[in-house]
Amino acid sequence: MEDHIQRLIQEKIVRETQAKTRRHFIKSCAQGMGGLALSSIFMGCDPLAKPMAKKTVAFSERDLNPLATLAPPFAPKVKSVIYLHMAGAPSQLEMFDYKPQLQKYHGQDCPQSLLEGKKFAFIKGTPKLMGPQAEFKQEGQSGNWVSNFMPHFKKVVDEVAFLKAVHTDQFNHGPAQLFMHTGSARLGRPSIGAWATYGLGSPNQNLPGFVVLTSGGNTPDAGKSVWGSGFLPSVYQGVQCRSKGDPVLYIEDPDGMTRDLKKSTIDAINKINKEEYAKYADPEILARINQYEMAYRMQIAVPEVMNINNEPENIKQMYGVEPGKESFANNCLLARKLVEDGVRFVQLFDWGWDTHGNIREGSIDLGLRNKCGEIDRPIAALILDLKQRGLLDETLIVWGGEFGRTPMQENRGNKKMAYKGRDHHGDAFTMWMAGGGIKKGVSHGKTDDIGFSGIEGQVSVHDIHATILHLLGFDHEQFTYEFQGRHFRLTDVEGELIKEILA
Amino acid sequence: MDVLKQLLGRLHPLVVHLPIGFIILGLLLQWYDRKRKEYTKVISLVYLWGGISAALACITGYLQYLGEGYAFDTVKWHLWSGIATALFSFLMYAKLQEIQRIDFLGKVPIAVLAVLFFVLISFTGHQGGNITHGEDYLVEPLPNHIKSALGFETFEEKPIVLNEENWQEALIYDDVVKPILNNNCVSCHGKKKTKGELQLHTPEVLLKGGENGEIIITNNPENSELYTRLVLPKNDEDHMPPKDKRQPTQEEIELIKAWLSIGNPFEGAIGELGMEKELFLSFFPKKHNADYPDIQIAAASQDTINAIKSHGLHVEHISKASNFLEVSCINKPSFVDSDFEIIMPLKEQIAILDLGGTQITDAIFEKLATLTNLTVLKLDATAITGKNMELLASLEHLKSINLTGSHLEEIYLRNLESFKNLEIAYVFGTQVEGEGVRRLKDGQITIDYGNYELPPLPSDSIIY
Repeated sequence: MEDHIQRLIQEKIVRETQAKTRRHFIKSCAQGMGGLALSSIFMGCDPLAKPMAKKTVAFSERDLNPLATLAPPFAPKVKSVIYLHMAGAPSQLEMFDYKPQLQKYHGQDCPQSLLEGKKFAFIKGTPKLMGPQAEFKQEGQSGNWVSNFMPHFKKVVDEVAFLKAVHTDQFNHGPAQLFMHTGSARLGRPSIGAWATYGLGSPNQNLPGFVVLTSGGNTPDAGKSVWGSGFLPSVYQGVQCRSKGDPVLYIEDPDGMTRDLKKSTIDAINKINKEEYAKYADPEILARINQYEMAYRMQIAVPEVMNINNEPENIKQMYGVEPGKESFANNCLLARKLVEDGVRFVQLFDWGWDTHGNIREGSIDLGLRNKCGEIDRPIAALILDLKQRGLLDETLIVWGGEFGRTPMQENRGNKKMAYKGRDHHGDAFTMWMAGGGIKKGVSHGKTDDIGFSGIEGQVSVHDIHATILHLLGFDHEQFTYEFQGRHFRLTDVEGELIKEILA
Repeated sequence: MDVLKQLLGRLHPLVVHLPIGFIILGLLLQWYDRKRKEYTKVISLVYLWGGISAALACITGYLQYLGEGYAFDTVKWHLWSGIATALFSFLMYAKLQEIQRIDFLGKVPIAVLAVLFFVLISFTGHQGGNITHGEDYLVEPLPNHIKSALGFETFEEKPIVLNEENWQEALIYDDVVKPILNNNCVSCHGKKKTKGELQLHTPEVLLKGGENGEIIITNNPENSELYTRLVLPKNDEDHMPPKDKRQPTQEEIELIKAWLSIGNPFEGAIGELGMEKELFLSFFPKKHNADYPDIQIAAASQDTINAIKSHGLHVEHISKASNFLEVSCINKPSFVDSDFEIIMPLKEQIAILDLGGTQITDAIFEKLATLTNLTVLKLDATAITGKNMELLASLEHLKSINLTGSHLEEIYLRNLESFKNLEIAYVFGTQVEGEGVRRLKDGQITIDYGNYELPPLPSDSIIY
């Protein structure tokens, strides 16, 4: 064994020397001299500067482990977040925002005053209004409206706080999803989960701090940027896990590689890294050593936590899981298990909510009903399961899409379509939150009689972000990251706390 | 011409510094030359220049008074003393030049004149400063008690004190509206400063309004500037208070609106007026609602924390604002009763302790009872049966206890009744039978039995 390592080290030295050309030598000499001069200037100026050698030894815990936990500025209400995103945008008018008046106007032309200056993805000319395609009832003690598409949800309606007048300024899936998850419709910003793991770290040393689970057949239109780390260090991006096959791609050792061999490989690499560290005292090397070890531990821990087969039968029934398949129900159960194990942010994406009415699956009466059936039981089960385990009080659940849908029937190409559908609509849609620090059984915000615009308690995407950060113990205006000479925030220069739904 | 007038007028604050400089220079030279009298000629020349520049300052000052629309009462002292300064400077020149015509001053010693002159220019300068910066400019930084000792009126925030018991008896104007206006508006619209000719410190002046007329239209907040100015976008020029000043809270603004819409009564208690409690909730004392006790404690040393972490235990501050800690065995499932010694140095600081999934037994309760500030305790997925759990009854901060998936036995569950401030216990997945929630101790303690079910429905499309 020792021999192997010695040979590896020897090889490394030889390679290093071979790789260095005369030009490298001169270049590094020049840099070195310049650096020496500069550092003596800076050190001389700063009376508080510590000698170099000391500084590299006194690294913080974060240098070693980028996911080491940090205390938030204020006492947090929740430790973890589970964000349920219905990619494609669910119709608020068939789920939670009951508009009996809209039924009255069913089939009539949409008033021109509403259409002026508005952009729609597909609607052309003058569309017709379409009444709710589901039946509504007031449920629970709170008496909040829930449609018959969500029959199980009534059991948890008193746990959630509805936001009935959310608005966004994007009307296409990609930009709207980016906006919803990164606070900007353009690429390059960190997602909410990345901000959360950057700000707080994650307590479990064997699991990623930010896990993403997808279902419904496709990843969101905006791609993996919706769980990206933007300008934050890439270690804070979401780790996509799968409920079918290997939970993380390439997590299994290849054939012929035993666990012992893997261990000794990593030991050898780390031994070299440690020697490298002894030579250069660069904390980056320590971080690398740590990451190798974490990856080795994750190989065992991730498949374990991602395995739902060991759950009791009644729990599997409650969620309606489909073992071996990729389903939203499986992901909800996994979300609970991950949160139970201290994962900071769990992001669920379910694809297939884009109900334009162009195909049967995308119809507002048939397709949407099926999609609701796929999430109704799992969501109710998730809330109840977290509750009975004492986790609901320290977890925040957020539900929503990237926008809502029009009160008008879609008339793509100014023609009658094969099925009933609604177009993209960002002026007013419904989201809800539940869990720690959230008022139970309230409804905030109102839309007009036909559900076109918010008329009371309008909240923006930034407001939602501000509220999520608040519950995690941050002031969204103070929580910044310096990049390209500017202090960036998740909420940019906007966002106000939605106090009405805070307990 | 108007342009020139205004432009010259605005040069006044610049020009005034010339005479001040000359005159101070003259006075200093006079003092320096008091014995030898060698520089008399120079000094007289300096005073001549001083006089000329002071006259210029007087002219520009007068133009500014006309152009900027100051009230004569505001500037009169500065104006007269400014003219006096100019004249005095010429007088000093004449005296030093020994011009015959001022013989009547012959008997007054030059030193006395110099002292008088110094007083005069200081007074003039101070008056001028008061006009531009406001009368309290210099005293403003002083602490309140010194200010009041000096005879200045002090601005004090008047807190709004309401609570569950007294809110209905509180007087709407004196106890709520007046303090809101006092804390947010009166520093500019009050007795001392009256910007926009508007005062807001008494009922009479509130009804009187300001330079744009009335600010209260009875029963009509949407048209009353007292309200509408508050809700304009912050960047709007008419937004009040100005955007860099302290802003009233959303709740305070709502309250002003509510008060205006019931006819802005200056008398009467909240209860009599039938105003809703919701409007006042934000003024009630904030309940401490966090997972640690509402007390101050000493911080644990970083070395102690690091030593405990090196055993594989997870230790973190609950927030940067508190010294309380959360300790968890999330990365150390091998934790046994005897390992408790490791965390003993933190026994005062631990508010949240998570021993879930560890190897502990009922012997742990005796040790847990020493954690005086323990607020949240998690013993889920352990072998504890609840025997000796009553030892925790002495922990007065313990709010929540999680026993899910443990070996908890029914007979020990009743011990929870003796816990002082326990709010919730989770017992799902134990041998204790039950479902949903039940309350103990007159509803103070919630026992969550869990076992929630979602019975199958015919419409179910996903079935395990």
